[in-house]
Amino acid sequence: ELNTELFRELENGRVARLLLKLGTVNERQEFDGDRSWSENGERYMLKLFRDYVFHQVDGNGNPVLDIGHMIRCLSRLDAGTDERICLTSRDEQTSFVVSYKELKKQLGNAFGELLKGSKQG
Amino acid sequence: MDGDWDEVSRILFPPPGVHALPTLVTTMTFDTSQELLWTGNDYGRVTAFVGSELQRYTSFKAHLASDGLVRQILVNDKGVVILGSRDVHMALRRGVPLWHIRHDEMKDLRCMSFTSKGTTEIIVAGFQDVMLVIDLNKGEVVKQVSTEHQYSIMKRGRYICAATKTGSVNLLDPVSFAVVKTWNAHSALINDMDAQHDFIVTCGYSLRQGQNYMLDPFLNVFDIKQMSSMPPIPFPAGAAYVRMHPRMLTTSIVVSQTGQMHVVDLMNPNTSNVRQANVLTYLSMFEIAPAGEAMALADPECYIHLWGSHSKLHFVDLPTPIEFATPEEPMPPIECTQDTPLNSIGLPYYRELLASAWPDLVSDVGAPPVRFDAKFINGLKPTDFGLYGRNTRGFRRNQAEDTRNVNMSANAGLKAPKFLSEKARESAKHDAKS
Repeated sequence: ELNTELFRELENGRVARLLLKLGTVNERQEFDGDRSWSENGERYMLKLFRDYVFHQVDGNGNPVLDIGHMIRCLSRLDAGTDERICLTSRDEQTSFVVSYKELKKQLGNAFGELLKGSKQG
Repeated sequence: MDGDWDEVSRILFPPPGVHALPTLVTTMTFDTSQELLWTGNDYGRVTAFVGSELQRYTSFKAHLASDGLVRQILVNDKGVVILGSRDVHMALRRGVPLWHIRHDEMKDLRCMSFTSKGTTEIIVAGFQDVMLVIDLNKGEVVKQVSTEHQYSIMKRGRYICAATKTGSVNLLDPVSFAVVKTWNAHSALINDMDAQHDFIVTCGYSLRQGQNYMLDPFLNVFDIKQMSSMPPIPFPAGAAYVRMHPRMLTTSIVVSQTGQMHVVDLMNPNTSNVRQANVLTYLSMFEIAPAGEAMALADPECYIHLWGSHSKLHFVDLPTPIEFATPEEPMPPIECTQDTPLNSIGLPYYRELLASAWPDLVSDVGAPPVRFDAKFINGLKPTDFGLYGRNTRGFRRNQAEDTRNVNMSANAGLKAPKFLSEKARESAKHDAKS
């Protein structure tokens, strides 16, 4: 019983920390015009991943709020698995096939860059 | 070309936007290890198509639309190299970018070629006086080579064969990039060129009556072994595009603008095999797959035609499998209530540090809230959702403020007594600053 509670809280903390990281990185105004976040940059996929996880829609374009999908994607990103997903841009023109491992590395680099620029880091 | 060759599929080249009109294919290349056809468009976009159905695979921007069209695509075992007028981009076949070079000396690039170092190094050139040598593994310019000639097409044979603006072909040494030999192939300009083993073949234009550019009604051939040109091979329809057959070493395929295709043996030009591609206007591009079992044609109606034998069509002989997205196993839906624990989904097996690992950062917890001065508050307009107005506080948006110090300076007249812990913290801060 106690262990169950403990694992539950550990999991919550892990998910929260990952979301905090994604939150600090995505859509920062300082990155506007930064080449690595532009459509041919290596960080463009982090933006598309956010859409992939949180902006899922059904065949009619209605939002799909599947917590299972969201947590599953986040867990795979957390562990950096070799599974590949297809990320598509909003205009459906761009599609990448990318592994969670590569996304994890991108997130690490982006967060590391913020850390370097921050006072505490 | 076998008797059963025919048009196997035809697709409309995807337009640059949802409601945009289709545009021309600016360059095409067959992959050398997967069943993929790589294409570039006018807006810097690269799209790959899979197999005989030409189904869309990945698609990505190699450079900004304002930097114009995709000039050329080369593939090696690591990924694809994309040449634009002002930059060179390399990406995995899955679309993930590897590196991007934009160099001051990249002004009007037109062509590129692998060098003496297999497929790990390229040289890029164009209508400019500098050629750049790029290490593909590092993604860096390693050498600049100045050149008197400006090049529009490059093909790697025994030498790097480079077509100039003026109808001649320079044979460059693949190590030193010095011009070994110049061959005047056509009187006005070269439209298409290919090189393989011992031969260079060209199609080109000459100026008729001093004003019209006309396609020459022959194919020009250069023998690299003898270092001399061979008698031109007649092609009355006007030779527009040519490729050497990758398997039959002395065979070339010549195509006219109207879609007439001849398979010619350079050693025995009198026997030729003729086909007609079904095009409404004219052809704008022609490419042959490394296995010699497929051809791609492009037309100004923005269609890509794939030719080959229905039963045998393939691009490469021993294709490595294409990496698609991992198929998702269907998961039972989760009833999401207030009490659904997040760990009911679980974490995959892992060995490395998790992405969620947070670095050791000191956070200031429990500082007093930011105080706004009355002037700022009075300058705001009240509405039913709150107050609004311009940011006149002299701070950036979302700027973090040290509210502990602000409060202290506000009470500067009255020195409040300090706890020992506060004193210790202040002296620590002073030490850190000095």
